[in-house]
Amino acid sequence: MITKLIDIAAKAKTLGYKTRIAVACAEDSNTLGAIVRATNEGFIRPLLIGNATKIREMLAAELDLSDCEIIAQPDETQAAKEAVRLVKSGEADVLMKGLVGTDKFLRAVLDKEKGLLPPKAVMSYSCALELPKYHKLLFISDTAVLTNPDLEQKIAMINYSVDMARRFGIEKPKVALITATEKVGAALPVTYEHALLCKMAERGQIKNCTIDGPVDVFLACDPSSLEVKGVSSPLNGDADILIFPNLESANSFYKGLMLFAGGELAGLICGTSKPVVVMSRSESENSKYYCLSLACLMAEEK
Amino acid sequence: MQITKLDQMFEVLASRPKKRMVAAWAVDAHTIEAVYSAVEMGIVDATLVGDTEIITTYCRQHGLNCEKLRIVDCKSDIASAALAVELINRGEGDFLMKGLLSTDRYMRAILNKETGLVDNGAILSHVTVAEPANYHKLLIFGDVAIIPLPDLNQKVAITNYLIKTAQFLGIQTPKVGIQAASEQTLPKIPSCADGAIIAKMAQRGQIKGAIVEGPLGFDLIIDKESAEIKGVKSEVCGDADCILFPNIEAGNTFYKTVVKLLKSELCAIVMGARVPCVLTSRGDSEKSKLYSLALAAMLA
Repeated sequence: MITKLIDIAAKAKTLGYKTRIAVACAEDSNTLGAIVRATNEGFIRPLLIGNATKIREMLAAELDLSDCEIIAQPDETQAAKEAVRLVKSGEADVLMKGLVGTDKFLRAVLDKEKGLLPPKAVMSYSCALELPKYHKLLFISDTAVLTNPDLEQKIAMINYSVDMARRFGIEKPKVALITATEKVGAALPVTYEHALLCKMAERGQIKNCTIDGPVDVFLACDPSSLEVKGVSSPLNGDADILIFPNLESANSFYKGLMLFAGGELAGLICGTSKPVVVMSRSESENSKYYCLSLACLMAEEK
Repeated sequence: MQITKLDQMFEVLASRPKKRMVAAWAVDAHTIEAVYSAVEMGIVDATLVGDTEIITTYCRQHGLNCEKLRIVDCKSDIASAALAVELINRGEGDFLMKGLLSTDRYMRAILNKETGLVDNGAILSHVTVAEPANYHKLLIFGDVAIIPLPDLNQKVAITNYLIKTAQFLGIQTPKVGIQAASEQTLPKIPSCADGAIIAKMAQRGQIKGAIVEGPLGFDLIIDKESAEIKGVKSEVCGDADCILFPNIEAGNTFYKTVVKLLKSELCAIVMGARVPCVLTSRGDSEKSKLYSLALAAMLA
C-alpha cells in the first residue's frame, strides 16, 4: 500500500516500461522541471510539443535529448490539439498541460470527435493529499473541475477516487461524504444525496468501497470524534477518500492544508480515456513530480 | 409483555387501570355494541355522546344495561362530535371514538384549530395493526387512510407513529421496513429515495427506538429468502414489525388484502392528536371495532 506520495514514483519505476507523456507547449520551466526529473529517473519518455528551439535550449543542460522527442508546433492551440491526438492515437499514454491557457488546453481535451472524453463520461478531478498529521494518504474530490456536482457526478467522483485509491493498494477504500453535520435534513439538502449514495453502496450499486455520509471532516478522519458525538460509522474515523459537496469547500480544504499544514498533493483529471495532468503554477516542484508519477500509475492498463 | 395476537391486548388491559373513552354520536348498533363489549370486558369506562332516547331504546331492546354507560345527551352528529372533543379536552376522557357520523365531520371536530384536539403543526396519521395469516407476528403499518401522498416530513412522522404503536404493544425495538418500488436506490423514484433517506436518519439517531431499513420491495420486508436472493442483508427483512407505505394506494390495498383476501383481523387508530382517536369504518367487523377500541386504550 502506498502511504507517501514519494512512493508513487517508486511504484511507477517498477512498472517496467517508460510511460509516454505528451506535453502541450512544453517550453515552461515549471513543467520541464518535473519532466526532467522523471525522465532522468527512467520511468517516462516525454513527447514535447511546442516551441522546439526554446524547449531544446531549456533542456540542453539537464537532459540527454535522445531520451525525449521534440515536436515543433509554435501555435498554442495547435500544440494542444497535437498532444491530444498523440494520446488518442496511442502514441502517448498521458497528456500534460504546459505553457498553454487552461481553457485552450481543455477545449482540445473535450473536443467531441478528437478529444479524450468518452461520450457521456463525467470529467472530474481527484487528488491524493499527504498530510503530516494523518497516518495515510487522503484522497479528495473535486478540487478543480466540477463546481456543483449533482448526484450522478458525485457517483463518478466516488468511482474515480475509489479507482485511484485501489491502485495505491487500498482494496476497499472508505469514502466519507463531507458536509457540516452528520444529521440528515432539509437545512443542508446535500445530506439527502449523501443518504442515497450510502444506500447505493450498501445495495452494491456503487462498488469496491464503504461509504458513509453525511459526516463532517472530524467524524471522517478522527475516531475520537465518533465517541464524542455518539455516532457509529463504518468508516471508524479512518477515511481514505473525502467527497466534498462542491468545489469551493474542496478547494479551500486542500489549499488551507497546503498553506498552513505542510500538505503536498498529487492530482489528476479523471474521466478521460487517459490521464490528463493539469498543474497550477502555485504547486510545488515536488507536487508536480508527484502528479506526473500518479499519471504514470493511472495510465497503466488494469 | 410483547403482544403477538390482537386478543392479547384484552389480557393486558384487564390488568391495568381502566381507560375512559368518549364516543361521538354513538347512536348506531355497531358503536353501542362494540363499546358495550369493551365495558363488559372491564377494559374501559365509556361515555356515549348522542341522543339519549335512541341510545337507551337500543339498549333496552337488546338487553344491554344502560347503567354501565355514561350517556351525554346531544341531538345532532356535528354537535356530538364537538361535545365529545370538548369532554376530552376537559380531561374527562383518554381517547375518542367515532360513532355514526361521517369521517369528514368527525375529523373536522378533531382538527378544529380552537376547540379541536390537535396542537399546532401536528401531523395526523392512520395506523393499522394487523394479524395477517401466514405471518409470525403483528404488522403495524400506515398510512392507509389519511395522508394520500406523504412527503418526507410526513413519512418521518408516520414512521415515528408506527414505532410508538409497536412499543406500546410491547415491542421494544421494532423493525421497520420502508416499502418502495425496489430495494435499489433509484434516485428518480421517490419511494426509493425517501427510503434511503429515512433509513439514514434512523442510523443517525434522528428517528429513535427502532431498526429501520429501506428502500425495500414488499417481498423483502416480509420474506427473508427474497432478501437473500437479492443480496440485501438486514435484520428487518423477513421479520418486520412495521411497514411504512409510500402512498395511500399501496397502504390501502394492503389493508384490504389483509381483510378480504387473507381474511385476517386488524384494527386501527388515528395518531397525532392529543389522544388516540378511533376511526372505524362501516365495513369493519364487530371484532375489528373492539380491537380498535383496545388498541386506543393501549396507547392512551
